[in-house]
Amino acid sequence: MSDLRRLPLVPLALVVVVFGAVPWVLTLFGKGYFFQVADLILIFVLLSASLHLVTGVAGLLHLGHAAFYGIGAYVAALMGTELKLGFLWGLPAGGLAAAVLALIVALPTMRLVSIYFAVATLAIGQMIHTVLLNWVAVTKGPNGVMLFSGIRLFDIPVKGPLAVYFVVAVVVALSIVAIHRLGHSYYGNALRSLREDDQCADAMGVDTVRLKIEVFTLSAFFAGLAGGLWAYTTGYVSPQDFNFSNSILILAMVVVGGLGSLPGAIVGAVLLILLPEVLRGFGDLRNVIVGLVMFGSILFLPKGLIGEVSALALVRRHFVRPKGEVAGREVGW
Amino acid sequence: MSIDPYYLQQLAIGLSQGVIYALMAIGFTLIFGVLNVVNFAHGEIYTLGAFVGLLVIATFAPPLVVVLLLVAAVGALFGVGLERIAFKPFRRFSDEASLKSRAMRESTLMSSLAVSIVVREALEIGFGSQMQTMPFEAMINKPIALGPVTIVTGDVIIFAVAVVMLVALQWLLTRTRVGLAIRAVSANPLGAKYVGIDTDRTIVTTFAVGSMMGAAAGLLVGLYYGSIFPAMGFVPGIKAFVAMVMGGLSSIPGAVICALLLGLSEGLATTFVSSNWADMVAYGFLVVTLIFFPQGLFGAGRERV
Repeated sequence: MSDLRRLPLVPLALVVVVFGAVPWVLTLFGKGYFFQVADLILIFVLLSASLHLVTGVAGLLHLGHAAFYGIGAYVAALMGTELKLGFLWGLPAGGLAAAVLALIVALPTMRLVSIYFAVATLAIGQMIHTVLLNWVAVTKGPNGVMLFSGIRLFDIPVKGPLAVYFVVAVVVALSIVAIHRLGHSYYGNALRSLREDDQCADAMGVDTVRLKIEVFTLSAFFAGLAGGLWAYTTGYVSPQDFNFSNSILILAMVVVGGLGSLPGAIVGAVLLILLPEVLRGFGDLRNVIVGLVMFGSILFLPKGLIGEVSALALVRRHFVRPKGEVAGREVGW
Repeated sequence: MSIDPYYLQQLAIGLSQGVIYALMAIGFTLIFGVLNVVNFAHGEIYTLGAFVGLLVIATFAPPLVVVLLLVAAVGALFGVGLERIAFKPFRRFSDEASLKSRAMRESTLMSSLAVSIVVREALEIGFGSQMQTMPFEAMINKPIALGPVTIVTGDVIIFAVAVVMLVALQWLLTRTRVGLAIRAVSANPLGAKYVGIDTDRTIVTTFAVGSMMGAAAGLLVGLYYGSIFPAMGFVPGIKAFVAMVMGGLSSIPGAVICALLLGLSEGLATTFVSSNWADMVAYGFLVVTLIFFPQGLFGAGRERV
């Protein structure tokens, strides 16, 4: 029994589903469109998980997340078209560019709290969107950037929807593991202390401003990665994919899933992308239904689909190594 | 040396834009001041006001004053409905901790957002997402020459309505029992409850008054530009939000002054740079205000910002 418990059954099952069952079923249907939806879901899972780090764990209401996603997408796409640097350069460069920009804007704004911080992120997001829309010389303005080159890994072209899906899935899975380790650790606990009472955390010796800047930058990095994936999977980026409504969509995923819960953020993203696709038969009514589902889940499940407390219990049970001992002291998150 | 009339004209355009933002900002700030939560659906109230106005004009073409009063009344009803649907269910607990809790603030933010999505999409199903044109006779854009500058009747009407609203609101807030109750709830909801104020009713009243103004603003802007569409509330909503923050979050005169400032500087930016970059001015103002005057230009002292 104790040996069985040591086997990470749930993580293994998840890996089997994401890398086995889903591509298998999608290949059975055999339509490229379903793979596009699957890629979109994975990209939004990454976006939602990265926003979860800032808004769920550290408790900073961030209303401009889509802008950093857009920076990643544009940097990856422009590196592909203008500099002829492929996927392996564009993807990390997109993430880094978003992170650097986040660091620059975070330095002056991180002293703000609550609604003031939310408004500042809203303004920054809108400013980035305005630049993407109007700096025609570089971003091609409202026409957007077409990226034809496709994904190449070390000069091997990745062809076909299945292969692209696997590339996206690997990048997203690795990022989710990184976000999981960041959020479910002593570092994550320090971030949670900011959310609960940052003055108290400050008084107890937690460097709150530094932590806020770090988590904001990290989250922008993952959003930038998601942007790079978006640019390479769709082959086309345009400013309207990164506007305020998208920031709100990502925020809605985090809130519907449960603030502070990583499994919740993932489930929320899957739900809010899948729902409009499933409801395609309802035609125009589908967006109304999406709005109603959002409203219903806020009203009837105020803690989210998977609340933070149960999510932490779930993660502790299945995703964290058993506790160890160092010098007679029990350690481990 | 005289100023080029072209610039005067641009100034006039900017000022009238500012007055439109101000109309929107008044209701927005009123609701924020009382509940301390952002009402994302205010832009949709504005859109609904314009559409109700279109229906009223299309069916029995009454004079403008009647349309305005009708739309304001319908707007008040929408406001009450919005409060019932999106805000009341989240005031289940009235102790101090939950009134100030982030969870409550975020859930009403998301619920008002969800309501605004439903309203906007429903309008798109009903009317289509493209422009609807207002009947030409009802539009308020007859030109008036004012020396070298030409303004239209709409500028005068919108300015007059804004002044009337502001004065009426100040009178309501400072001279009536309802206003006293609103100010009490805004200052301290729990304290207001302890001294016997019906906080629920006060909040509903605030929503009715604020939404009345939002709907009237939507109607006037629709008649001013002559075309309305389901997503029209979004940009003025954001600008009103910016004006509110610049004005210090709970100061209505401050929000109005900042809305005028915003409209003027956008007008100047359109003249000297280009209309595409004019939006940057608003957001730039917002960020600069937050960093250097975090309490807003006209805000009262706050503990932390």
